Amino acid sequence: MELRYFIIRRLLLMIPTLIGLTIIVFVLMWSLPHTFLASAFINPKAPNRAQAILTAENQLGLNQGIVLAYLHYLGNTLTGNWGYMTLTTPIKFDGTVLSGIGLFFPNTIQLVIFAAILSILIAIPLGTYIGARPNSIADHSGRIFSLSFYAIPVFVLAVVFQVIFGKGVIAGNPVGIFPISGTFSISAINVISPPSWLVSGVGGVVLSQPTHLIIFDSLIHGDYALAGNAFMHIVLPVLVLTLSLLAGILRFLRASMVDAANSEYIKTARSKGVPENIVVKLHMRRNALIPTITVLGLLFASLLGGVVLIEDVFDYPGIGYLALSTILSGSIFGVLGTTFLFGIILITANLLVDITYAILDPRIRY
Amino acid sequence: MYSIQNLEDELNKNNTTNEDEYLKVTDLVTNFYTSRGIVKALDKINFSIRRGEIFGMVGESGCGKSVTALSIMDLVQDPPGRVVSGRVEIDGFNIFSDIKDLAKIKVKSETDVKIKRNKRAIKKHNFMLSKIRGKKAGMIFQEPSLALNPVLRAGDQITENILLHNKKNIADSLINRANLSLDDVKLVVDEVLKNKDETKSILNNWCRRNALVDLETQINSIFKNYTDPKEIENEIVSLIKGGLTLVDKASLIEARDYYDYKERMENLEIKRFAATEESDSELIRSIGAEEVKLRGTSGARFRSYSLKRIFTGKKVEKAFKTEANRRAKELLSLVSLPDPERIMRSYPHELSGGMQQRLMIAIALASDPKLLIADEPTTALDVTTQAQILKLLRNLNQLVGASILFITHDLAVIAEMCNRVAVMYAGSIVEQGDVLDIFDSPKHPYTVGLLGAIPTPQVKTESGINLHTIPGSVPNLITPPSGCRFHPRCSFAMEVCSKSKPKLVELEAQRKVACFLYTSEVEE
Amino acid sequence: MIEETALRSNRTMEPKKHSRLENSAATFRLFLKNRLAMVGMIITLVYFAIAIADTVYPQWLGVSNLSTALNFVPGHIANTAQPSPPRFNGSWWYWFGTTYSTIPILPVMLAALRIDLAYTVLIVFLGMGIGVILGSAAGYFGGILDEIMMRVTDIFFSLPFFVFALAIVYVLGFSFDNVVLALIIIWWPTYARLSRGLALETKSFKYVEASRASGASNFKILFGHIIPNVLSPVYVQISLDLGSIIQLFASIFFLIGSFAQSTYPIEIGYMISGGESYLSEGLWWPVIIPSLFLLVFTVAVNLMGDGLRDVLDPKLRR
Repeated sequence: MELRYFIIRRLLLMIPTLIGLTIIVFVLMWSLPHTFLASAFINPKAPNRAQAILTAENQLGLNQGIVLAYLHYLGNTLTGNWGYMTLTTPIKFDGTVLSGIGLFFPNTIQLVIFAAILSILIAIPLGTYIGARPNSIADHSGRIFSLSFYAIPVFVLAVVFQVIFGKGVIAGNPVGIFPISGTFSISAINVISPPSWLVSGVGGVVLSQPTHLIIFDSLIHGDYALAGNAFMHIVLPVLVLTLSLLAGILRFLRASMVDAANSEYIKTARSKGVPENIVVKLHMRRNALIPTITVLGLLFASLLGGVVLIEDVFDYPGIGYLALSTILSGSIFGVLGTTFLFGIILITANLLVDITYAILDPRIRY
Repeated sequence: MYSIQNLEDELNKNNTTNEDEYLKVTDLVTNFYTSRGIVKALDKINFSIRRGEIFGMVGESGCGKSVTALSIMDLVQDPPGRVVSGRVEIDGFNIFSDIKDLAKIKVKSETDVKIKRNKRAIKKHNFMLSKIRGKKAGMIFQEPSLALNPVLRAGDQITENILLHNKKNIADSLINRANLSLDDVKLVVDEVLKNKDETKSILNNWCRRNALVDLETQINSIFKNYTDPKEIENEIVSLIKGGLTLVDKASLIEARDYYDYKERMENLEIKRFAATEESDSELIRSIGAEEVKLRGTSGARFRSYSLKRIFTGKKVEKAFKTEANRRAKELLSLVSLPDPERIMRSYPHELSGGMQQRLMIAIALASDPKLLIADEPTTALDVTTQAQILKLLRNLNQLVGASILFITHDLAVIAEMCNRVAVMYAGSIVEQGDVLDIFDSPKHPYTVGLLGAIPTPQVKTESGINLHTIPGSVPNLITPPSGCRFHPRCSFAMEVCSKSKPKLVELEAQRKVACFLYTSEVEE
Repeated sequence: MIEETALRSNRTMEPKKHSRLENSAATFRLFLKNRLAMVGMIITLVYFAIAIADTVYPQWLGVSNLSTALNFVPGHIANTAQPSPPRFNGSWWYWFGTTYSTIPILPVMLAALRIDLAYTVLIVFLGMGIGVILGSAAGYFGGILDEIMMRVTDIFFSLPFFVFALAIVYVLGFSFDNVVLALIIIWWPTYARLSRGLALETKSFKYVEASRASGASNFKILFGHIIPNVLSPVYVQISLDLGSIIQLFASIFFLIGSFAQSTYPIEIGYMISGGESYLSEGLWWPVIIPSLFLLVFTVAVNLMGDGLRDVLDPKLRR
């Protein structure tokens, strides 16, 4: 299949980008004092501290010039030796960078996947509807909606939603029913004898087993009350993320629909006597999705920024909150590790976007 | 040389003109409401096209030829464009009968126009049009690369059209095929084997009789490849029944009846639509009665069928799709595209410009319309391809018997292709008549100038080839010249020309001119 | 349809100076017709006017020195910790209530917007300058320069810009200047890529070829023909980016502010994060009011940008 060759080609093109990402992260690291780097790389409670710092200097190649040091960095990154981090605020964590990422990553995946699915499910039919009726009332309200949610800073949206829908923020507010921080309420579990599947993980973080996602784990173990409680906790973060992504997709889909509606092939379709609803759903939308897909990569990049802000506002223990904690706790390898991770996520997302693009647009195959 | 035969022909023609007219355009006005002003693109166009003829439409770029083509099918982009008034009768049905209901246009000034569209009426209008477009008239566009949907396979773009309009027909031919018994096949095989010299004509006849035209070449090759009558019979039977193994005859008949019923109901609806617009209460009543009758006899049966179709109709639909595919391939060979099998699977961008235009023609022909509107179909192509496409269109005109409205700026092409021609200038038809008459003795000063502008190698003067030009350029249609729109460029312009617009009058049989040199009639 | 082709043909035919002028007059008239875009432009101008007024005549806000919010702590208000709600009698200072340290929201916010606007404009224009010059040069000269440029922008486009900006700010140390630097670093590739494409297109225009044939230097062609022609879509990008950058700028300070209160509260993201702590007590105005002012600005520049895009370049989509 031609598509397979396209994917292979695209994977090969990823290599220079990945190298670029490592170079940039490496430059960030290299610009800091080297003595500080070595001591930050190791566990501060290591028994033989002087020896450990010496080993770290060798592992990082700090005395071997910039080129060799970069190769060392590359080797460390590939082998999973991402360094050590001690986080104090707002997340308290003590352990290797990679283990920390492992703990917090699932929560973010859950958040992003919910938001992505929801926004795509809403945006495509809605964008098709309003894009096919330019300058109608539906179109104007859709445009105002998407413009405002596209223009509103995501942290403002998060805070405003906390005010409006947050439990206990405004007294007597009938819609204020959603908890505004964390992933579950302490009151929802028996603190004195907590369930056995809630364990204390690496670095002193309370973790649920086996998926690390409290909703699914409590469902697996049959604790439906806790599952409900955890669900209520993610409603607001997911809603905010969904709205900001939805607004972006809607904006571009509408514009592409209008563009597609002006094309010659739509006239051809009508000249064949194709009924209007099929003209819109088959001929217009199929074409309009293609340019929309191309901006998805860009939207996803800002979505990741939104993740950091939303997780901060809702104290949601994901990698955005982790990234913020590494910065606030001054853990350099934590900062570098999370930055690199975010880069990998975006590169992967762009890969998926390009493949979807190739599937949708027959002209793209080589 | 005026023989009695000619005279009779002439008389017949005059008697039957009206019935002959497949397309009749009356006082068609199309405007574009732009922020720079109202572009009066068409200013009361009148012409008609007879069954089977090729009617040319010629003029400079920007004179409204393409807008005419789009207006006939009501495909003008809205906004900014709208057909404002007039009639377009296709096969006797006026597609603009409801034009007054579609939108209220309030012109405050050139640049400030309020258009209030009536969504309900437009929805109804679009439904009605979707039954006319494609079925009664197909369209071929100027730029095939833009006019073909880039993300759909060529095959799907053709079959879409076939399945939209010809389902009943497909069902009929499938049933025909299912009815064919082994004995029928035995008979024809015997006959062919007896008269080997006439294989071709016998098979041709037999295939035509039994709606198997698309299989003719394959059946022919079976006779070439096999000698044993038993083998031949088996091969033919398996070929004919190949697409039908999935469905039984009963469900095919049921599907046919269903589509027949649906088609009748839609036809009644369209008829009622026209009757309502002309407020013919008698007709409306009879249509209503017929509808009640139809619904009474078969309505209940098909209400349950449409439900059944969702669950068990897949097989029938698949048989339809297979048959549509077969027809599409047939169409592709009709427009002389090589390797139809491969083309069916290709996307438009994988084809060359000439192939794309052939595909476009195949798409337009797919639902068997009796009128093709070709809007500069060769302008975007290179010269050799142009010639091939022109030849193809001419052949199709004879083979399929469809009339063609051929729009071009190239007078040479008109001379080669058309029976009759209309010359357009700045949104109006200035002259109309038989191609030969117009080329021999152009009447309107614009036509004279246009014909003079063709470089003819024979007419040489001392300074070499004599190239006439028409002074000036095409006027801006936002503020068109008063009176006759051509008068600022006309060397015969009189006082009256700038004051009022001449009417398109019949000078002699089939010859019309709009110019004060020939008439004093004024267009309102 | 007709309009669009007219506009497009004007842009591609271009060459003569006077036609460009005529064209821009027509474009401007078209822009004036778009009511939403006009509203956007007026609001944007009002914001900038306020910012300029703050700088030129800070006394109208009731203070002589804008550097810290402490200037706004009114002496005559009892220094209770609780912010007071909006009230409309008396001084305009209290129309939107007060926030932490009981400072009145409205004047502080107006002073804060000045900071945001100034830094946003700085970031956008520096980023634009770097991006346009590098991108146009890459597009015009082509070859290895272009290749490197493409790879570099590719890499920047696959970076999650917000997280990356945070990391840069962390490595450089927290300060207004470093945030500006970080945002320029992540934003210039947008302009580089945009102007590279446009430069490639412009390069093949007849009048560029003509001036090259008549012996104009590369430098002259680049700055005399290529860059001027690249600019009009860049204007659209600028107007849209004003909104994006002010968001990013405020977001960064919001994050910093939510954990480390410092002595520079005159920034809108900072103000919002400062008000966040009062939410749990049901005091909404310290958060909602600055948010609304930020929102109105971003919506306004987006409306203006959309309008500009419609008239300047109907085909440009980001």
